[in-house]
Amino acid sequence: MTQKRRIPRLLQMVLIILGVYFSFILLFDVVLGQLIPKSLLTMYMLFVVAGVVMVFTFTEEGAQELVGPIKALVEDPSKKTVRNVVFVIVPLLAGYYTYSSMMPSFEAPMELRTIHPAPPTKFKAYGKSFNLATLENPYRKFQKEDPAKFSELVKAGGDVYIQNCQYCHGDKLDGKGPYASGLNPTPLNFQDVGTIAQLQESFLFWRIATGGPGLPAEAAPWISSMPVWQDFLTEDEIWKVILFLYDYTGRAPRSWAHE
Amino acid sequence: MSSVNKIALLTFCTALFMAGTAAAKPGDAAKGKGIYDKRCTWCHGAEGAGDGAAKNRLNPPPRDFTSGNYKIRSSDFADPTPNDDDIYRMIRDGMPGTAMPGWSDLLAEQDMWDLVAYVKSFASYETPPAKQVDYGTQIKSSDESIEMGKKLFEDGDRCVECHGKTGKGSASKRLKGDAGERTWPRNLTKPWTFRGSNDPKDIFTRISTGIAGTEMPSFADPKSKKKLSTEELWHVANYVASLAKTDKLVNAENTVIKADMVEGELPTTPEDERWEASTPTTFYTVPQIIGGERYFTPSNDTITVRAMYNDKTVAMLLEWDDRTQSIPGDDSAEKLADAPIAEDGVAVQLPVVIPKEMQKPYFGMGDAANPVNIWHWKSGTKGATETISLLNSKGFKEIEKRDAAGVGLTAKASYSDGTWKVLMYRPLTTSAPDKDIQFTEGRFIPVAFAAWDGSNNGEKGSKHTMTTWYWLLLKPAAGSKPLVTALIIAGLFVGGLLWWARSAAKPAA
Repeated sequence: MTQKRRIPRLLQMVLIILGVYFSFILLFDVVLGQLIPKSLLTMYMLFVVAGVVMVFTFTEEGAQELVGPIKALVEDPSKKTVRNVVFVIVPLLAGYYTYSSMMPSFEAPMELRTIHPAPPTKFKAYGKSFNLATLENPYRKFQKEDPAKFSELVKAGGDVYIQNCQYCHGDKLDGKGPYASGLNPTPLNFQDVGTIAQLQESFLFWRIATGGPGLPAEAAPWISSMPVWQDFLTEDEIWKVILFLYDYTGRAPRSWAHE
Repeated sequence: MSSVNKIALLTFCTALFMAGTAAAKPGDAAKGKGIYDKRCTWCHGAEGAGDGAAKNRLNPPPRDFTSGNYKIRSSDFADPTPNDDDIYRMIRDGMPGTAMPGWSDLLAEQDMWDLVAYVKSFASYETPPAKQVDYGTQIKSSDESIEMGKKLFEDGDRCVECHGKTGKGSASKRLKGDAGERTWPRNLTKPWTFRGSNDPKDIFTRISTGIAGTEMPSFADPKSKKKLSTEELWHVANYVASLAKTDKLVNAENTVIKADMVEGELPTTPEDERWEASTPTTFYTVPQIIGGERYFTPSNDTITVRAMYNDKTVAMLLEWDDRTQSIPGDDSAEKLADAPIAEDGVAVQLPVVIPKEMQKPYFGMGDAANPVNIWHWKSGTKGATETISLLNSKGFKEIEKRDAAGVGLTAKASYSDGTWKVLMYRPLTTSAPDKDIQFTEGRFIPVAFAAWDGSNNGEKGSKHTMTTWYWLLLKPAAGSKPLVTALIIAGLFVGGLLWWARSAAKPAA
């Protein structure tokens, strides 16, 4: 080991903890653009702090070296000035923290919700009952049987999409349509591999036909702005628009056959 | 470690730099057609005539490339030919305030240049423009420049003629585009609707070239009586850019309208100075497409809300820009309106019962289990004054009309220079808690809004703009408790530290 003057261990520890904290903020808030909820960040940081303290106090000397500066501050008469400063600042910080955490918070309540609710086995739409387990897109077969007809169906689905869905889900199917910013939760991004590529066409049919109000009770709060499309589109149009969603994004629906 | 950071920073800066400028590259029109047919036909049509399937459901309508009108271009005012760069920028960045998105995340750079080549071919633009906009030397924005720009903006009604004194584009006459379509002057206080960005240089370009196919003329044209010198153009551009600095910008994180507690009387007019001290919260509004007759072509896009309350009453001030004061029966109002004219309006929606858990009523006028109160204000007609009505609804098919005066619901409005301000009052509590919301301080109360522009495409009934749920909070007074507790805690800390220091000092002594 070199005898070079290193950063004091206590400072090292503080720097690492601060570093992790700001990395979280940088990664979520800046890079990913997803605000990290305060409560979640607090929980993460609790583990981080516990972990770092454990690592730093793993050996006896390590612990000594860590606590050393603190003990010195109190015991060493030569550090009197620093001590006085610390003794003023620490109570002030504690007081400030108490004050700000006791002031009533005006931040909106958190609304956790299930994004992919478990579908029911049966649902009602168009005045009849559908069985989600057996429901299939009646047009999917043309993809192999009659590609020319299939591409016409996709085109028809695209027309339905652009006249009804793009306002929220966007021209690019990325969930950033012209009115997306006025909605909370924001519209689904179909380009994302985590959305339609993970779902069966019957699930899409159910979500489109029954919309936000058709969500099961466990998907509360009931705040999806998705319209109830059976009021505006025919069954046929919904199946066609589903073809378009997969075709445009270049994704394939999940099917029962492979599972 | 630090060198890696430096490289990352450098790459980031270079990327930013490159994003700002686009160097024209030759595009392949044939390849462009392939991309166009997959991505663009939906709105712009197979032959580029702006007649895709979405045509009638977009405001503004998709661009007709065959017209040869390029509104956002940087070639000289006298030359309608766009630069390849101009088209490229529109494809890459999209057009704010319209349905045209930026495509750079889905298309490769070369794809976009190929599209430029193909799109240009619809109007047979083959040779690049001979002359470019003359920018001279950019004059940086300053108080003096903005002041000079304001003067030029107003002199001889130069810009005020269409954009209005406050720049909100409040209508004094009908404007139309070359194809006969209704056009509206830009509301210059809404920078998020500037199609070619609200950077002063882009604003300069618009004023210099005019906007092709519309009544926005070139102010660099020597034949114009209102011509501006290059320097003057910069002053006006700086002034216009300064108009966008309002406190009515949407902040996506701010979803809570905070009502301040007032001692004594609440403001009695929308103009009361005390509103200035109240925090405004602005929300985007979206057209109504969930029930009844759907609506796709709104003019309004935001609403700003302030609130106050005292021991008896809550007051909410709703403010939104509307270029037209719609007065059915009034000749000049009817002339400005897209017939049929209807009253302007605004509505506040609140749950009858403040939800204890997360479940809120359906945002579209409530649901069977969770009814809502709706306070609906209408601007009045030539023969009748403004009205406020109270509705209880369980969804848009089950609406009960109630007596607004009976519960003490009142409203007072003012309109000036393209802005409506509507002030609504209601007592905190009423005698019918099963039918009316009872306001409680400190609770997060779901609230939603709707607005009607009666001069725009016949907005009426289910044709309106709206928001989803946000929150209203009657801010409780904090009292002295936090301060006292904080002092006690600080005192305990001082005591603890002193005790520690003393006990540490003892063995040494």
